[in-house]
Amino acid sequence: MVKGPYIGYILGDLNYRREPGMSEAVDLATVEIELKLDWMNRQGEWQTHAKPGKSGLTLADIQIGSYGETPEISDNMTGRPRGAQARPGSFRIGNYSVRTKNEIWLENASFLYEEALQRQWSSATDVPWHTIEPLPDDIEEAQCELATFLTEVEFVAGDVPARWISETTPDYFEPRNVLLAQVMDEARHMDVFRKRALANGGGLMQATGGTAGVVGSIDLARDFTEMSSRLHISGEGAVLTIFRMGELMAYNDAEKAIYRLCAQDEARHVAFGVMHMRYMSEEAPDRHEEIECYLDEAERQILAGSQNPAGNQTASSEALAILLGGGVAHYDEGFRKLMAIRRRQLVEYMKRVKSAGFGKRFENGRSQVKEMMAVSAA
Amino acid sequence: MAKAKASQAAAESAAGQAGAIDGIPQPKLDWAGRSNQWGTRVKPNAYGLRLGDLNVGIYGEIPDQWQDQTRNPRGAIPRKGVPPLGFAIRDKSDLWAESSGDLYEEAIQRRWAPATDIPWNTLKPLNEGLERAICQVSTELCQYANCDVETITSWQHQMAYGYHEVKQFLATASFDAARQFEAFRKRALSNGGGLGLEGPGQVNRMILESRGGWTEAVTYLFLMRGTFTMTMLRYLERYAHNDAERALYRYTLQDKARQMTYGLEHLQYSIAHQDDMALIMQQLLFIGDRVWAREMKDHVLMEALCVVFAGGISDAGTTGYAIYRQMMGDFMNSYVDTCEWLGVKRQPEMMPNSMTQYLKVN
Ligand SMILES: [Fe+2]
Ligand SMILES: [Fe+2]
Repeated sequence: MVKGPYIGYILGDLNYRREPGMSEAVDLATVEIELKLDWMNRQGEWQTHAKPGKSGLTLADIQIGSYGETPEISDNMTGRPRGAQARPGSFRIGNYSVRTKNEIWLENASFLYEEALQRQWSSATDVPWHTIEPLPDDIEEAQCELATFLTEVEFVAGDVPARWISETTPDYFEPRNVLLAQVMDEARHMDVFRKRALANGGGLMQATGGTAGVVGSIDLARDFTEMSSRLHISGEGAVLTIFRMGELMAYNDAEKAIYRLCAQDEARHVAFGVMHMRYMSEEAPDRHEEIECYLDEAERQILAGSQNPAGNQTASSEALAILLGGGVAHYDEGFRKLMAIRRRQLVEYMKRVKSAGFGKRFENGRSQVKEMMAVSAA
Repeated sequence: MAKAKASQAAAESAAGQAGAIDGIPQPKLDWAGRSNQWGTRVKPNAYGLRLGDLNVGIYGEIPDQWQDQTRNPRGAIPRKGVPPLGFAIRDKSDLWAESSGDLYEEAIQRRWAPATDIPWNTLKPLNEGLERAICQVSTELCQYANCDVETITSWQHQMAYGYHEVKQFLATASFDAARQFEAFRKRALSNGGGLGLEGPGQVNRMILESRGGWTEAVTYLFLMRGTFTMTMLRYLERYAHNDAERALYRYTLQDKARQMTYGLEHLQYSIAHQDDMALIMQQLLFIGDRVWAREMKDHVLMEALCVVFAGGISDAGTTGYAIYRQMMGDFMNSYVDTCEWLGVKRQPEMMPNSMTQYLKVN
């Protein structure tokens, strides 16, 4: 239960004002001081008139004059908001390993951020939980296996971006804010699948260890783009395809809503990765080969491995096949649908990588995706 | 271990059937029937299906230590042999607050968007001194928010999975900070002004440098800076000059109130469960007060607030300053009262005069 001195602000309506500890407004003008006001001549660019457009006052609307300019290399080590006047005496307290624009930038961050704000949802009240009815035991068990896996892995996409946010200069606050919205989205994903596992007579099952601390994992990346290629492009891309096929494996409106709402969030996360990689590919051709290496690794480990719920012969892929087929007795039918989903994952992955500027790898024999396609078509 | 009975029979039947189809591997189903607690059916109530509602049976058992170094969800069967992720915070007393789950749900319910929930069209040109002062205060609030973002996100990934309610609440708290950063930037750039001079940053440094543990960070970030920000926002709201600013302060107060509630409740929990935590906090605050007092000697924020409260420069040194002193009095009383409530001794002689002078104001 929420309690404490600030409860009025938390649970009251927005007009809640009075709190114990706030003095009545009284005239206390007994002491007079001389103000220096010298700081009024030490402010950022003036005369800025951002105007709200049809979507309100968006981040794009405040990219005005010098406030819209982002440095290629950030020398802001004091955490000042971009465009504010610097104080020469400020301490260098910024722990910023990400302070080169092409390391994190993307063109549509403002749009993705505003979208994230407008499309927030609540797993407590926006999922019609009452539509869940008891399911046959094998279906419920498969659903709980998948929900356990997703509860386990969803917050890798919260923990890891959070760590990178703490190391990113506020000069690049637009991408940073998108990532902060992602961290919150992932908290909700972790939570909605835990809710599903405990809502229908089942329970959590055995963890898979799908996000272990091993070389090549999302957790251990030492470069932001490396992390983003693993997390956004291959990991979340694969999950997005599955969520989009949610209709095929949902047994009630609650599950349909869960997959639809999660897919909407994941689409933004994947878009972040694709748009960032595109920016990187255009602005830093010298890093092209390095990024190809990240993609090699991501294809090997994440698309094919246990982090992909539709991967090869894992607990979650078996559970998916049972859900898709309509029970253990129809496993073969479910497995065929699963193979179709895996092909679709690969097709969508190729589309994203092409769009990010790395399409050649599918023509020059570097990528293994075509072989993976052949296997899942067999 | 409870075993779902039907899955056994179903598995056998599937093994027979699936093997009959060419090219389709038989499912191993070695995961089936593996649950610590089966038969859980949590029902939604008038508030929907909330995170805290899930804490039934073993799923609600929250141990004092969480040694598992993987992302094993609380209540699931752990998998042996998974290479660890290295979570540093694994003691409940280092992060817990009972209301975390409820605060998480509140944060999700009370979502707002600065783009569309602030009546920006109510902003009208203000006298230049006032606009400059509001822009200065907005700049400092942006910088506070930046400090919140950098501090919270540097700790999140270090927290063990068994305490997911805290991780989830903090995900909303760092997002609230991102929104505060965005909202006050929008205010500064939308009424003919711009951003101001960056803040002195000494308290930011102290908060960011609190590496001794999350509880230390909470002490500086919420108990100290948070109490001040809450007080300042209340006064800004009281003396707001248009509905856009009023709404901005109200929404931010609501967001910050959740963080304060988590923070104070965590400190209380930590003090109750760790022998010398009250003494550690006393030491931290003894040092913190002096850093705080040095930063407050900087006249920029003080003058800007005086101008905002007075509605312009002309009465800023009289009426504005009186209101500023009243605000500082409220802050100091609230800060000292909260410390007392937590059981952390704060005699006035332990604190710098530049702080205690305000204890007498109101
Ligand atoms: Fe997710
Ligand atoms: Fe995601």
